[in-house]
Amino acid sequence: MGILERAAAAAQSAELYEELRSTVDVTFRGGEIEKVGSREVLGRALRVIEGGRLGFASTAGEDEEGLVQAALASAKHGDPAPFSFPTLSSGEKVEVLDEEVLALSPEELISWGEGAVQAIQEEFPDVIVDVSLSRGTLEVRITNTSGGELIEKRSHLSMGIEVQRIGEGDIYLLWVGRTVRRRADLVPEALVEEALRYLRWGERVAPAPQGQPPVLFVPKGALVLLLPLMVGFSGLSVVMGTSPLKGRLGQQVFDPKFTLVDEGTLPFAPGSRSFDDEGIPTCRLPLVEEGIVENFLFDLRAAALADSDPTGSGLRGGLLGRGGFRSPPTPGVRNLVVRPGEGSVEELIAEMDKGLVVVEVLGLGQGNVQSGAFSNNVGVGFVVEDGKVKGRVKNTMIAGNAYEVLKGGLRAIGGPPEWVYGLVYVPPILVEGVSVASR
Amino acid sequence: METQLKEAVRSCPADYAEVRWEEVERSCVAFQRDQLMALERSREAGGTVRALVGGAWGTAVFTDPEEVPRKLSEATKLARAAARKVRDPIRLAQVPVVRDVFRPRLERDFRQVSLEEKRRLMENYNRIILDYSPQIAASSVRYTDSLRRIYYANSEGTYIEQAIPDVTVLLAAVARRNGDVQQAFESVGEAAGYELALGLEEKAEEVARRAVDLLSAKPVKGGRYTVVLDQELAGVFIHEAFGHICEADFLLRNEPMRKVMQLGRRFGVEALNVVEEGYLPGRRGNAPYDDEGVKRRKVYLIKEGVLSGLMHSRATAAKTGMEPTGNARAVSWEHEPIVRMRNTYIEPGEASFEELISGIDHGVYAKGAFGGQTELEQFTFSAAYAYEIKGGELGEMLRDVVLTGNVFDTLRSIEAIGNDFVLKGGAGGCGKGGQAPLPVTDGAPHVRIRDVIIGGR
Repeated sequence: MGILERAAAAAQSAELYEELRSTVDVTFRGGEIEKVGSREVLGRALRVIEGGRLGFASTAGEDEEGLVQAALASAKHGDPAPFSFPTLSSGEKVEVLDEEVLALSPEELISWGEGAVQAIQEEFPDVIVDVSLSRGTLEVRITNTSGGELIEKRSHLSMGIEVQRIGEGDIYLLWVGRTVRRRADLVPEALVEEALRYLRWGERVAPAPQGQPPVLFVPKGALVLLLPLMVGFSGLSVVMGTSPLKGRLGQQVFDPKFTLVDEGTLPFAPGSRSFDDEGIPTCRLPLVEEGIVENFLFDLRAAALADSDPTGSGLRGGLLGRGGFRSPPTPGVRNLVVRPGEGSVEELIAEMDKGLVVVEVLGLGQGNVQSGAFSNNVGVGFVVEDGKVKGRVKNTMIAGNAYEVLKGGLRAIGGPPEWVYGLVYVPPILVEGVSVASR
Repeated sequence: METQLKEAVRSCPADYAEVRWEEVERSCVAFQRDQLMALERSREAGGTVRALVGGAWGTAVFTDPEEVPRKLSEATKLARAAARKVRDPIRLAQVPVVRDVFRPRLERDFRQVSLEEKRRLMENYNRIILDYSPQIAASSVRYTDSLRRIYYANSEGTYIEQAIPDVTVLLAAVARRNGDVQQAFESVGEAAGYELALGLEEKAEEVARRAVDLLSAKPVKGGRYTVVLDQELAGVFIHEAFGHICEADFLLRNEPMRKVMQLGRRFGVEALNVVEEGYLPGRRGNAPYDDEGVKRRKVYLIKEGVLSGLMHSRATAAKTGMEPTGNARAVSWEHEPIVRMRNTYIEPGEASFEELISGIDHGVYAKGAFGGQTELEQFTFSAAYAYEIKGGELGEMLRDVVLTGNVFDTLRSIEAIGNDFVLKGGAGGCGKGGQAPLPVTDGAPHVRIRDVIIGGR
């Protein structure tokens, strides 16, 4: 008898989530191969409702009976289940598997790494280059006693390049990376070019502008503004009353230039999937339409508590929802997409005349994220004067509030967008109202 | 298990091979406001093998114990693929062959405590927070325990069984007034029994009070300040400011970094001593051996202001000609060991708290830690809350205090070191190379530093 059948025999209803994670990863250190690794991990999570009470348990490996007993024991002391398990039916099939990714050999990944090291050191012979590459699949299977079975195999491919430029009393550390589902979407040369651009811009150290200069967040830096929103748009935060967006559906909360969509079904996008981790079909979910709050992210629980419908946003693995059988589902984003405008990074730099470009910060999420407040060290950032990059900043803090900046301080949204951490697809964003402190 | 693992590594054709199999028993209770978000008691098991061939590593992670021999051949094959390209081969420093079994003693074994009892305890803390004031909008109370049993064997003949208990409680409150949302939290974490989770009622009330107080606190104004850090934040400070850069894996195949991190180089003031302690029984994440089977030992990172030691794995020790220190740690069976901290602290000095704040005309007293991050040279660390210092006295409460520093300057700007040492293991942990949260402890007395940049409006 299978796990679900055993659970069903002892409980009113049950849901089984299974994932098989298979990856090959390659690590370069100091420009040279250090490690090739493989991973094959089977994880399971079982939810049961018995006596009206919800129980949860998870395990890695083969202990099937242990999993069933653990979930039943949890239900015994659990709370009334606010929701029931949905009938599982596959909605539209989203493209998430590229066989070409599966076919990539360790040798091919190694050669990509070598190519990147060589290309960077050709121009900057003294830098230290670490590269990490990973390819693999996540196979998810969801079944429940309401009926139906959902199975999906999703591919992923990622490459990260870290460059250290070490001088006397000055260490410049830079990271660029991509996570994609399709081989054709990962262009190692483009990543190398991105790293080289920031190395060129950062050859000199320049004093940061003080006060509240214009700040251009180029893709990775935009997480400073988007992370608080990921928390704020969570239906759970709204239900809990910790989101500043509570009660503001339909209101103009952001600048009309700002449109934000959580795209669940974009073909081969890194966070796309046909169904969420509770088996609800994903969708295109507009969160902000021209500054107006349109929707929140709901999993089964938050939807039930808010008397709303689930949005296919029930993801395991916390806020970023990137897998993890150990944690029960909570609302998370699939692909968070900011609608682009016009103007490349270079054009926006020319337009801002004087200011600060923020590429990466330290301490993301370490603060009062719920309120929208941010205060971060600029890990990688550049000074702009006379519409040109003058050099790299050090020992510089930026601070502000994401909600205020995206309402009163949004000067321009450029384009094209870029993927960040396989999570958000965001164009360069030029803002005012960010305070800069430096020594 | 012993025979099976030893046999598997012995017959592996790699230059060196090791296997680590782990069995984990864990439980968790979590409330958010009135919602029971987690109530679980589970087990899991899994392992990692490593093979070194021609100076390159191959690894394999798996969940089926029958697969150990097959995974060792797979790791060997992967290492061979890598070895063809290696110019600067990885070598391992010699260490004694060990056969040891370590079982911690728990005052009250959390595996003997029912889920129901754990739930009731947390529900009570949760109730205290929610009932504190109508301004409390939400709470988050989370209890976790785990017993991680580690079976380790390598091809040199070492075989070690260790068990590491871990208990944590996180208490958090969110207060809301109009559109403003403020949060406060406290946590405890130790390699202890269930007793650690008991008696936190006052902490729960304190958390609620602080969240409400923060609604009236002033956002800090950005700028350069003389700051006094409390013990918890000073512990996070030294972890971020200097701990990470002393992890010697940064020095592998990195000649310029080895020059920066020359032993004997002055980084701090004369009064500064920084320790990376090997094994502290009962403290979070502690066990006698690291995940390469090396006995953990104490290292002075800084002695009288001067760099005097680094943290090593066997590979980094061989590269730099140093002794291994037992700093190779894996966050779980899903990962291979990398160089990590264990218990990192600033040794106490002589100043009283009053002496530390006296004479500061305009400064900040920063307390508690949200966390921190470093990128080798620059680092940040965030205070949970803070107070103004004016004319040598504590003033109004401040919020949103995030501090930044620089490894080349900030340790030289320490003006005074207190005499009131505290070592803390919280509910979070350290992250590096995709491995988080690794249980560590940080410690320090109160510390006073000048010229610290604080972000703010």
